[in-house]
Amino acid sequence: MRLLLIEDSVPIAGAVRALLERRKFAVDVAIDGETGLDYLLRGPYDAALVDIMLPLRDGFSIVESARAQGIQTPILFLTARDAVEDRVRGLNTGGDDYLVKPFDEEELIARINALLRRSDRPAQQVITVEDLTVDIGARSVTYKGKDLELGTTEFRVLEFLARNAGLTFSRAQLLERICDYDFDGSSNIVDVYVSQLRRKLKSAGGDDVIKTVWGVGYRLG
Amino acid sequence: MIARLTARYVLVFLVVLTAINAVAYVFMSRSYAAELGPALETPEGAAAYAAAMRHVLVSILLFDVPLVMLVSGASYVLARTHLEPLLAARERERRFAADAAHELRSPLATIATVAQAARVGAQPEIQASLDTIIRAALDASAIVGDLLTLAREPASHALHTEPLDLAILARHCVAEFEERAKAAAIDLHLETQSALVNGDERRIRELLRNLLENGLRHARTRLSVRTNQQGRTATITIADDGPGIEPSQQERIFERFFRSNEQSEGLGLGLSIGRWIALAHGGELRASNQQGGGGALFTVTFPALPSA
Repeated sequence: MRLLLIEDSVPIAGAVRALLERRKFAVDVAIDGETGLDYLLRGPYDAALVDIMLPLRDGFSIVESARAQGIQTPILFLTARDAVEDRVRGLNTGGDDYLVKPFDEEELIARINALLRRSDRPAQQVITVEDLTVDIGARSVTYKGKDLELGTTEFRVLEFLARNAGLTFSRAQLLERICDYDFDGSSNIVDVYVSQLRRKLKSAGGDDVIKTVWGVGYRLG
Repeated sequence: MIARLTARYVLVFLVVLTAINAVAYVFMSRSYAAELGPALETPEGAAAYAAAMRHVLVSILLFDVPLVMLVSGASYVLARTHLEPLLAARERERRFAADAAHELRSPLATIATVAQAARVGAQPEIQASLDTIIRAALDASAIVGDLLTLAREPASHALHTEPLDLAILARHCVAEFEERAKAAAIDLHLETQSALVNGDERRIRELLRNLLENGLRHARTRLSVRTNQQGRTATITIADDGPGIEPSQQERIFERFFRSNEQSEGLGLGLSIGRWIALAHGGELRASNQQGGGGALFTVTFPALPSA
């Protein structure tokens, strides 16, 4: 597994590299934004850890440029900034996860492993179901050519339904997608997300895109 | 926000204007009627009266149109001059908090990361020292986050909200505390009913963890967590069977750095942060004692989403 670390603090870069190498990762380090982007564009990396405040080019801009050029490497932002605005911006520019420095070594390794697992599945980049297009890489959704603004969880639900178009899923199965783990209680949260998605699809001219299958659950297509 | 304030100014003006218009119309209609006197009874008189009143109505409306336009413009300018410095101050505050967090955390990040790297392969006693250093740096970083949060107004703009089910979050957070409860021989009881809110997941988890942390510290044998939704209110309650809270301290425990006694662990920020999070969501966090001499009862309420 080859990782790219873009971090301008030399002591932190050295220490993170040592921690990762001990876990048998191969690590390349770039200490400014331009070099970092250059490495990211050229190298086949399994994942990249990117600081946000960097000389020459900031982390958001690195990830934006890389995504614009079709680089799908999973990205973990590592930063000492943790304002909501920064987190949201980090994820919206195409980052996959966000970890605030200082962090615990175990937490870092767990996040990296989660990223690698996620990227393991061969992902179809763009899913089209009738008039609906879900672009996984760019995290964007269009219906009849109109862009839909979706929240993270809304996107996850729609992506899951679109990947499995034609199949019906129960509320419990969709709930598992929403919370990433088994929940053995009852919850109405799935209906809330589905009704939000329907409202947004409807405003783009899509009636009954997500169908209710009485007594079973929901289905797309 | 500027548009909202402008609309409010204009609305107030419209109410006043409508009242003035009505008074003017009634006054004119009375004075015309008095002038016409008995002639009002004749068809010609009635027609003249109706024509005059139509004229009055048109004059009033023609007078109103430029007035409303003028006042709308003035309201907008007024709203902007009032709000712009406030919005700018809020933006400065936001940037200050983000920058300060970054500047304070950067050296802590160096300490924690370098110590974690050095720990590998070090001798046991040095490892123990490094563990202390790592723990302290991570704790300091958490405190930096807490203090900067508390320095800001609890408002929804500091949140990243989406629909959440408190039942799911409660279950998940309680699971994190199960081992510790078992070790302390405390029965962790959970009773969840779906309760939907528009909330910031990270923040609500933090609130739950703070309350569980506090509960575990004071419970003797049992800590129970409940979630439920009634109408437009979603509630989480956390009840312990500890000594309860002195009535005189039921508000003070939410003060920053308040500790109920010198021996109590923690910095005394958890409950302040908890209340901050509840308020930022438009909700509340209150402390009381259970009836019949039970332990402390913490109640968090949030505005609920209608369950679909």
